[in-house]
Amino acid sequence: MHFVWVALRWLISLALTLLGLVVVTFAMTRLSPVDPATQMVGSHASASSYQAAREALGLDQPLPIQFLHYLRMAASGDFGQSISTGQPVASDIARTFPATLELATVAIIMGAALGLCLGIFAAMRPGGVFDAVARLISLVGYSVPIFWLGLLMLLLFYARLHWAPGPGRLDVLFQYTVPARTGFVLLDTWLSGKPGAFRDALAHLALPATVLMFYALAGIARLTRALVLTELGQEYALTAYAKGAAVHRVVFVHVLPNIAGQLITICALAYASLLEGAVLTETVFAWPGIGRYLTTAMFAGDMPAILGGTIVIGASFVLLNTLTDLAVGRTARGRA
Amino acid sequence: MSLAQTRSRLLGAIFGASLALGAVAAHADTPPNVLVVAQSIDDAVSFDPAEGFELTTVQSFNNLYQRLVQTNRDDATKIEPALASAWEAGADGKSLTLALDGKAAFASGNPVRPEDVIFSLSRAVKLNKAPAFILNELGWTAETVDKAIEKIDDSHVKLTWSADVGPAFALAILTAPIASVVDEKVVAAAVKDGDFGNDWLKTHSAGSGAFVIATYTAHEALVLQANKRAPGGAPKLENVIIRNVPDVGARRLLIEQGDADIARGLSADQIDALTKVKGVKVLAVPSARTDYLLINSKANATLGNPAFWEAARYLVDYEGIAKDLLRGQSQVHQAFLPVGFPGALTDTPFKLDVEKAKKILADAKIAVPVKVEFPVFNDQPFLSIAQSLQSTFAKAGIDLDIQPGVASDIYAKGRSGNYQVTLRYWIPDYFDPHSNASAFAINKDNSANTVAKQAGWVIPKLTDETLAAVKEQDPAKRATLYQDLQREVQKSSPYVFILQGSDQVVLRDNLKGYKQGLNADQVYYDRVEK
Repeated sequence: MHFVWVALRWLISLALTLLGLVVVTFAMTRLSPVDPATQMVGSHASASSYQAAREALGLDQPLPIQFLHYLRMAASGDFGQSISTGQPVASDIARTFPATLELATVAIIMGAALGLCLGIFAAMRPGGVFDAVARLISLVGYSVPIFWLGLLMLLLFYARLHWAPGPGRLDVLFQYTVPARTGFVLLDTWLSGKPGAFRDALAHLALPATVLMFYALAGIARLTRALVLTELGQEYALTAYAKGAAVHRVVFVHVLPNIAGQLITICALAYASLLEGAVLTETVFAWPGIGRYLTTAMFAGDMPAILGGTIVIGASFVLLNTLTDLAVGRTARGRA
Repeated sequence: MSLAQTRSRLLGAIFGASLALGAVAAHADTPPNVLVVAQSIDDAVSFDPAEGFELTTVQSFNNLYQRLVQTNRDDATKIEPALASAWEAGADGKSLTLALDGKAAFASGNPVRPEDVIFSLSRAVKLNKAPAFILNELGWTAETVDKAIEKIDDSHVKLTWSADVGPAFALAILTAPIASVVDEKVVAAAVKDGDFGNDWLKTHSAGSGAFVIATYTAHEALVLQANKRAPGGAPKLENVIIRNVPDVGARRLLIEQGDADIARGLSADQIDALTKVKGVKVLAVPSARTDYLLINSKANATLGNPAFWEAARYLVDYEGIAKDLLRGQSQVHQAFLPVGFPGALTDTPFKLDVEKAKKILADAKIAVPVKVEFPVFNDQPFLSIAQSLQSTFAKAGIDLDIQPGVASDIYAKGRSGNYQVTLRYWIPDYFDPHSNASAFAINKDNSANTVAKQAGWVIPKLTDETLAAVKEQDPAKRATLYQDLQREVQKSSPYVFILQGSDQVVLRDNLKGYKQGLNADQVYYDRVEK
């Protein structure tokens, strides 16, 4: 019974969040100065072609009718046809979302692992060499523009040292010979069984994932350090010290279980921001993810694509939030 | 373990991992039978020749489809046979009978029949997509087009038109990508809800050109496959992969490293740097694009005053913009027909002369300082050019208020006449002077969507002269008529023509046979070899 209630509550919150998102996004795309019909037919087209495009897009209808029409379609899983790609939005998203998910997942695994370690060890000896290094890395990760870092890494590791392959998800040798079964290039190349394809995919993933990792790591390390330091000043930690516990014992046995929930939340938030915020990395590395898809759509006033993409990202946020809540609840129960 | 030891082990591990990664990233040139092109393909919407009107798709059509007639790839002013081996104009000058080349076949193996021609041209008119206005120039509409194109016998087709234009102009229209001939039998199988196969053709091809579309993934890549039945024999390379590389910096790295054979759309800085790099060469191809300042004469009394237009012509630092800002990506050009088109004017009578402009404004009693809204594309090189204009116009007391905006917004403002002055560019839609003349010098009564209409410039006399020029059959006389038209527009019009573009394409130096022409669609991959 409890489980049903939780599931129901989750579904209601998902539906409300998405409805809110659709309303706001719809309003914003309609308020923006981009004219989707002009975008579609260009400046030279005749008045009748322009009018035909407006009608095809439903722009001649009053706004509330357009909105209701859209809601009806979206509810049935049809996000309509993208203006900027000419393809159904659902298939565009099915293609671009896995690309971003794959990149962000690899980046967050590396970023969380490194960031947590960095933050924890920095807090254990505040003011020490390790702390200084950690702070420098966080500062750089926060303040260096991500596209610049990406270009610089391409220049160094691809153009100068030849350690990594150039932009793209796969070498041209594999790109059009490996069938796209799942949309996750690591899985697809593995399943294809083509010699070298998986390694090629991995190599292509390395640079963009490292750039994104760096960005995630900076935030995670900083917040972890601050959290651990605060906890180390708490009475229970001081008591543990007074009893003669070494600093690593205080941190790993006493402090970390107490802040596990917050750490999970920090990592989940970083993950969520990578899912929608990877657009610059995707641009520099020619990575056909949903961030770039959405940005291009925005410039084209491509409302079906913008709404579809926003709903998918919104749904992932809600899902990630719920999973985090569950995980945090579990760690809290584990301590109790 | 000391800190130093830990550090050295950590560094060792990082470098070890990087090296292992490096080992798999074997560094190689592109495969010998594949051409890899790095550019942006984000603009591509439709590869249906009846719809595609974006740079990426327009550049693909000559490689995928053939038309009845085509422009010569070395001299675009010459029209030569393609699917039609011969043609004859009707006695009234308003019809053409074309003989189809009996040997012509589509990539599918189907022969090219009159039915294919009728299907292709009539679907393009009836679909009424962006480029449909080109065929509308012949007077063809959804209602009339069925009667205008008829099959004479199995190898002849006759086109008639109601518009007051001659056969030479009709032939020029037939060289536009929208007049591409599609394989009716293949497309018929893909028709959905009476869409003439439009949905399917957006991402597939059904032509007789040198290549077919193997796969197209939006925002990712267009992969072309050689057509073994191509006219003039199969192309030299098996595949052309046009990769979407949205970042220009990444594009430059790819061509430098030999992971791309051709790179397009690089900035002046990058071209400068690449000219010094071994293994690549920069090809500068004159393009038919012209950049111009458009003044809305209906915006207010000042902007509607011809003296303001004249003063504006002397407030542009033409040389500075072309030489310092665009460094080889454009040349100074001051008339509406680009160099390379019949009748183009090559002289440049205007130069920056602030004193003269001030005097013109004072003589006309135009009060300065005056503030002018100046919406500009939020992109380079437009913003740089706009800044140069802002600084020179300011010297005569005209304060251009730059308002960066997205292209569709600026076009929409033009369409509705809701702007004061803007910076725009024009690319001819087909290879005939009328493509430009009809835009800039036709506006009898604000009824058609021409640039002149967007400038609020009503010109019945110029309109008549433009319509007379398109009717003229003698090529030499026709060229003179266009020169006269351009001089009149230069003398007084709400346009200031500033530049003609030059397309800089970067190629690996082992590449041979790449050809690109003046017009946007003239990109040819069929004879490329390495």
